[in-house]
Amino acid sequence: MKVLRLLPALLAYGVLQVVLRHKDDAELARRLRTRDPHAMADLYDHYGRLAYSLIFRIVRNSAVAEDLVQETFLRVWNRVQSFDPSRGALGPWVLTVARNRAIDYLRSVDGRMSQGALELDRLENPVLFSSFEDRALTMDRVKKLKGAFEKLSPNQRLVIELAYYEGLSQTEMAERIKQPLGTVKTWVRTALKTLREELAQAATA
Amino acid sequence: MSCEELSDLFELYSLGLLEREENREIEIHMARGCAKCGENLKNALAMNAVLISTSPEVAPPSGLKRRVMSSVGLHRKGWGWLGAFATACLLVVAVWLGNQERQRGTELAEARKNIVEVASERDRLEQALRILDQPETIQITFGKGRPQPPRGNVFVHSKLGVMLIASNLPRLASGKIYEMWLIPKGGAPRPAGLFQADDMGSALHILSGPVETSSLGVVAVTVEPAAGSQAPTTQPLILASAGA
Repeated sequence: MKVLRLLPALLAYGVLQVVLRHKDDAELARRLRTRDPHAMADLYDHYGRLAYSLIFRIVRNSAVAEDLVQETFLRVWNRVQSFDPSRGALGPWVLTVARNRAIDYLRSVDGRMSQGALELDRLENPVLFSSFEDRALTMDRVKKLKGAFEKLSPNQRLVIELAYYEGLSQTEMAERIKQPLGTVKTWVRTALKTLREELAQAATA
Repeated sequence: MSCEELSDLFELYSLGLLEREENREIEIHMARGCAKCGENLKNALAMNAVLISTSPEVAPPSGLKRRVMSSVGLHRKGWGWLGAFATACLLVVAVWLGNQERQRGTELAEARKNIVEVASERDRLEQALRILDQPETIQITFGKGRPQPPRGNVFVHSKLGVMLIASNLPRLASGKIYEMWLIPKGGAPRPAGLFQADDMGSALHILSGPVETSSLGVVAVTVEPAAGSQAPTTQPLILASAGA
């Protein structure tokens, strides 16, 4: 019944499918590693909508989003052999790859290649997503973090948006919103601390 | 920098947003297997994933899954061929059924046409038999004793109409037709219907309806243009005198 009460909010968050199917991820990852053709279809069914939503939010273009979703799943498929099915978190990995593909695209369009594709590539190594047992995408964690994000100040929300969905460094944010770098860093640090603490509470609750 | 000093930077690090110097500091810690930094990195990756999962839901295009499957070489190449084969088979079946349907339609139309013709012929023969069967029917023979055909009989019934049975009719030129005329005594010829002869030169033609037998003088047949004429344009081939 609790799930039913939360349903509208969860649908708005776009996480329902991820949360409800997370328990299947270990088996799904094993099947991906054995190149089970149906596993890729299942992976898309689990995370395709979420990946597309995330990428579309970043690039704001459906055709580009389609290309990047395709690239995301191709990348997951090609690297899944390094993924630890028993201890890894498939959802966070897929979403990270999706977000990085979209940010990489934005940077290439904007000519912001200083961070480079190689760096993003390294940061989505499936090995990094091992031992995620207590850090999975769960309904409660998503709900908590969403609530915490909405409680941030407008400036804090702004810098978090610029970081996560536009891929701007703190220096680039300062230039974009014409604020001192120190101020931007304070907003970012405070916002992340709030979110981190909220998530930690959700984990221990 | 200490692990504690770096602890606030792992989210931005895992998003690829740190400045070069900060980035290098974390890399140094990670390279030496710093457990605390490793844990911070996992926490940061997890938080980032949770945060970006809150994007408003947008439905992907329906064909995207197919594209994704294709990109990894799994898009049912077998299924694709099978699908193409199945599609081709369906197409063949559809064409065959279409042809069958058309053929059946043609045959059906032909059968209907035959039925109509047979029914029409049956009606005509029944009508002819009714005229012949009536005792008051007047029979007029024509061509008898003439050296050249045509020959035959005209049967006249005051209520049922006039029936012409002729043989040895000459083959008509293209665009021509036989036309029967009822010529009252002292009156002008009245059109009494168009007809054709069969390959043997025989013909049966009936003009249904009441006929003023007392005033009927002659039943004549001429060759006319295919659309018929309102008055004879050629000399009569047949002249059957009611008073004969």
